[in-house]
Amino acid sequence: MAQDAGKKKTTVASQFFKAVGNGFKDIGVTFKEGDWKTKISYLIFGFGPIMRGQILIGVALLACEALFIWFMTGFGWQYLSKISTLGTVATKKVGRKTVYGDNSFLILLFGVLAIFAVIALIAIWYINIKENRKEELILRNGKKLPSNGEVFHSLFDRNFHKTLLALPVTGIFVFTVLPIAFMILVAFTNYDKNHQSPTNLFTWVGLSNFKQLVSFSGAGIGPTFVQVLAWTLVWALFATFTNYFLGLAVAMLINKKGIKFKRLWRTILVLTIAVPQFVSLLYVMKMFANDGLINGYLIKWGIIKTYIPFWTDPLLARITIIVVNIWIGIPYMMLIATGLLMNIPEDLYESARIDGANPWQMFRSITLPYMLFVTGPFLLTQFTGNLNNFNVIYLLTQGKPQSVNLAEKAGYSDLLITWLYKMTVNDTNYRMAAVIGIMVFVVTAVISLVVYNMLPSVRDEEGFQ
Amino acid sequence: MKKKLVSVLLTAAMGMTLLAGCGNEAAQTVADTATDVAETATEVAETAEQTAEEVADAAEEITDYGTGEIKIWVADNVVDFTNEQIAAFQAAHPEFSGYTYTVEAVGEGDAAGNMITDVEAGADIYAFAQDQIARLVTAGALEVVEDSNAEAVKAQNDAGAVGAATVGGTLYAYPLTSDNGYFLYYDKSVVTDPSTLEGIIADCEAAGKNFYFEINSGWYQTAFFFGTGAELTYDTDDSGNFTKCNSTYASDAGVVALKKIAEVASSKAFQNGSAISNATNVGAIVDGTWDAGAAKDLFGDNYACAKLPTFEGADGKTYQMSGFGGFKLLGVKPQEDDLKLAVCDALAAFLSSEEVQLARYNAVGWGPSNLNAQKSDAVQADEALSALADQLQYTIPQGQYPGDYWSLATSLGDSVISGEITKDSSDDDFMKALTDFQTTCESYAQ
Amino acid sequence: MKSYKTKRAIGNAVGYIILILISIIWLFPFVGLVLQSFRSYATEYGGMVDYLVPKQFSLDNYKFLFDSSQTNYLMWYKNTIIIAVFVSLLQTIIQLCVSYSLSRMRFAGRTFLMRFWLILGMFPGFLTMICLYFLLKQFGLTQAGAIPGLILVSVASSGMGYYVCKGYFDTIPKALDEAAMIDGATRSRIFFTMIIPMSKPIIIYTALVAFMAPWCDYVFASYVAFGHDTSYNVAVGMTRWVWTNDYQGYFTRFCAGGVLVAIPVTLLFMFLQKYYVEGVTGGAVKG
Repeated sequence: MAQDAGKKKTTVASQFFKAVGNGFKDIGVTFKEGDWKTKISYLIFGFGPIMRGQILIGVALLACEALFIWFMTGFGWQYLSKISTLGTVATKKVGRKTVYGDNSFLILLFGVLAIFAVIALIAIWYINIKENRKEELILRNGKKLPSNGEVFHSLFDRNFHKTLLALPVTGIFVFTVLPIAFMILVAFTNYDKNHQSPTNLFTWVGLSNFKQLVSFSGAGIGPTFVQVLAWTLVWALFATFTNYFLGLAVAMLINKKGIKFKRLWRTILVLTIAVPQFVSLLYVMKMFANDGLINGYLIKWGIIKTYIPFWTDPLLARITIIVVNIWIGIPYMMLIATGLLMNIPEDLYESARIDGANPWQMFRSITLPYMLFVTGPFLLTQFTGNLNNFNVIYLLTQGKPQSVNLAEKAGYSDLLITWLYKMTVNDTNYRMAAVIGIMVFVVTAVISLVVYNMLPSVRDEEGFQ
Repeated sequence: MKKKLVSVLLTAAMGMTLLAGCGNEAAQTVADTATDVAETATEVAETAEQTAEEVADAAEEITDYGTGEIKIWVADNVVDFTNEQIAAFQAAHPEFSGYTYTVEAVGEGDAAGNMITDVEAGADIYAFAQDQIARLVTAGALEVVEDSNAEAVKAQNDAGAVGAATVGGTLYAYPLTSDNGYFLYYDKSVVTDPSTLEGIIADCEAAGKNFYFEINSGWYQTAFFFGTGAELTYDTDDSGNFTKCNSTYASDAGVVALKKIAEVASSKAFQNGSAISNATNVGAIVDGTWDAGAAKDLFGDNYACAKLPTFEGADGKTYQMSGFGGFKLLGVKPQEDDLKLAVCDALAAFLSSEEVQLARYNAVGWGPSNLNAQKSDAVQADEALSALADQLQYTIPQGQYPGDYWSLATSLGDSVISGEITKDSSDDDFMKALTDFQTTCESYAQ
Repeated sequence: MKSYKTKRAIGNAVGYIILILISIIWLFPFVGLVLQSFRSYATEYGGMVDYLVPKQFSLDNYKFLFDSSQTNYLMWYKNTIIIAVFVSLLQTIIQLCVSYSLSRMRFAGRTFLMRFWLILGMFPGFLTMICLYFLLKQFGLTQAGAIPGLILVSVASSGMGYYVCKGYFDTIPKALDEAAMIDGATRSRIFFTMIIPMSKPIIIYTALVAFMAPWCDYVFASYVAFGHDTSYNVAVGMTRWVWTNDYQGYFTRFCAGGVLVAIPVTLLFMFLQKYYVEGVTGGAVKG
């Protein structure tokens, strides 16, 4: 397996280098064999296509170049030029007035944007060269170039995907890719409450944040990190499988022959999906409080003497969270299982019954294998989803109870994700939040990769396209 | 002639801010930068440099303060009150007529966090609890109080309040209230004698009522620690950095206090908390004046309050519970415009003045920090405030503490509540917990 | 044969008992919520209590919510509806576009795009909050402009959630497309006149899920709108009533507000439940 992966990697890598090599070769060949229009296109994008009558393509390419130059001269360069230091001009006072110096945050953000712009420019430059080459080859072969109208129409037919994807891809780039790249870089800076823009500067610090995370001595938060990570994994495991099996059980119960009002039961359960979680979970949080409804009644009825610390005892808090999560989570699984159970051919059960199998045996040998096979990928996404299940934890306990044994304000019910949130919002400790975020990514990615390759349904079904 | 000079200087000043805006932070969409100024910006640019110093001198002659918007954050229940006071302020100061004011409900607890997240988008004037002040100074979210105002503030407010608003010798905020302390509210029909902690808890247990004390708060916790004589203070420098930690928590006194906390927590009547509206079945609660109204509603005829009780330590001695006397403060954000800053200074000084503090007491019952206002009859007659005043002699004015202290204290309290530290733990365990605590506290000071 | 019948009857009885128990557990918090929302504010104050049934029923809390001189609740409600409607509409359009391209068309970079998005999805969303906040601020879409800002952010990244919709498109036979193309139809024509009309269930599912999410959005909404009461959504406005000590005695008001939020969303969900089930089931199987 590992060998396989290694081999795969080398082939991918060699393919990549081959592609890059070919790219450079193309650039050279095009320049050597190209006419003067092509050669000028190396500097003025789209010059060749415009001269050859491909106005639409040519103007688009030229517009990209113009946009880049406008962006860089007017805006991008002043940030990009400072990215190595993240700014040096400190904020100062003139009289009572404040004159802000460099804003490290914006330098980093727009510096990253400018770097992306440069990469995009190189890509467009390459596309521009390929376009010239393509046109020259078509003309050399004595064929006609497509008219501008045809090029435009292709955007609704052959190239329809370009039209459809333009907006979504841009959106994802600006609001997902750019911020993620930014935050990854923050992990290598000292951006925290003492180095906060715009008043203070922050700067690069290399790997020291990562060292702090895995350091088990002094100011290191290694022990806390390990503890939070462990609970995150345990939580995800329990949350996923309790919901899975209990949801399956409830679905089978409702599906059982002879049970009436199927719709009614389902509707009652589904309420927890429909009611917004901040309403239902906050109410449940109050309900289980030390001085809440449940404890109040239990004491009144004389069942217990002192209140049960549902949220304040570390172990009990974790158990209560998992139990409440069942309340929230079973209905999803029930809906899914209901649909899937109907797909199992009835005659399988029929023949099993003739063979004298009891319900448990039938479940073990027919229902469960089928469900596990079909819902393998679902279980995986549920698991990774639970790793980042913010709402349940935060609305119920906010990660509490805290402890003197845990660093950085972590609590016993904190997941990595709630810890990250608290660092960002309460502490403005962005550098550590970024490091934790990267760790969450690593954990998710590793688990997904390992489990995904083990799923039977993936192997059989050619899987993810 | 003079008028012309002023207007030139004015444009120059505005041009400067504009240039500063364009130069370093073009992208920071300075929405309020007037577009018409943009046209004059280039011609002003040449003269801008040499006039920069003159602007300060010219300030006294200014009669036109320009225009602008001033954003104010206060707690929800004083939004209406603040709006009324601002209307009075506007009437009294026609020279600031170019300014509009918006009051938003952002509680004293959230204000600091929001200010720090984005100073620019934050309020120009905001109320906050004093424990946030060092953090705000470090993040550059507080402007130094203007000299003449500073003198007035120091002369007119009680020393504790002034101390709370001072970081490293510089006054950074205007005291608003001096009632951020805590004492005991209790139900007369449940608690017969509010003078000893043991008695209160026994009464609550007997009546099946709850005794609320927020032991996982660094603020309430000190009632025990300071009571037994343990100490914890920090020294700060001018920029809000903590330079030294003076702590004696890891001592016999600290152990007695923590042991008592654990003992209180082990009572079946004990509940952790300090907000009356979130409390149920209350027999007694340690809380502050801001909950006086809620407490009256809750206890009805049995409403009573008193200073904090005494308690008997494990060493057999009797200690009076102590704690923090705290203050609410009003801060002004650093401004890029002198004129706007002047308006903000004036408004903040007004909102924290004697009359307004007294009016605020009458409207919402917040205890004033102004010495004259404190002497007024209404304030003197207030039950909750007099309980607080009784307690005040035992408390320590709250100085500056790093933000991490509060969460560390929460962790300590949580450890007691969750049973990691119990009343049956050995003295060594207590000492170890406190030594860790103290070491961590010391690590916050550089 | 008789024993089989009695066995089955017992089995059913046990089944009913379990279902009734489950129903009670499931409904209990909601019943509590509704009961508390009717507790009289005037006589029993609005704080927490340790009993379930109010001593006196009244509409005090609801009156408070509708009184715009005391609270901006109606404004928050309106904001949330605006966000939900726009997000629902735009997100559905974007996901349809993405899903069609990825399901029906083959182009260079298609696999790369899907892999890349899959990897991006593994980064926790909250990581980038501060960055998104300042990005939005560049466009003036925070505080006063938080509503369009929130819509923009939810819609912009929605392309990555194409899985369920694409899974559905994959089940529509490609032969249909091919036949239409032979008849001279363009890709866009196929998309608009064939695929979309055939995808009603998945469109409703996508829109429903997108509509429900903003009602719960506390985290990012509070981060973008801070300090500007009129651009809060219900979740941001109301969680303060529970978490912030400035709001004493707001618990019953929170319950009342919660009931008003839950009713429309729940009703909508119940009506469209069929499509929801279809969506999640299909999504689960496809992964």
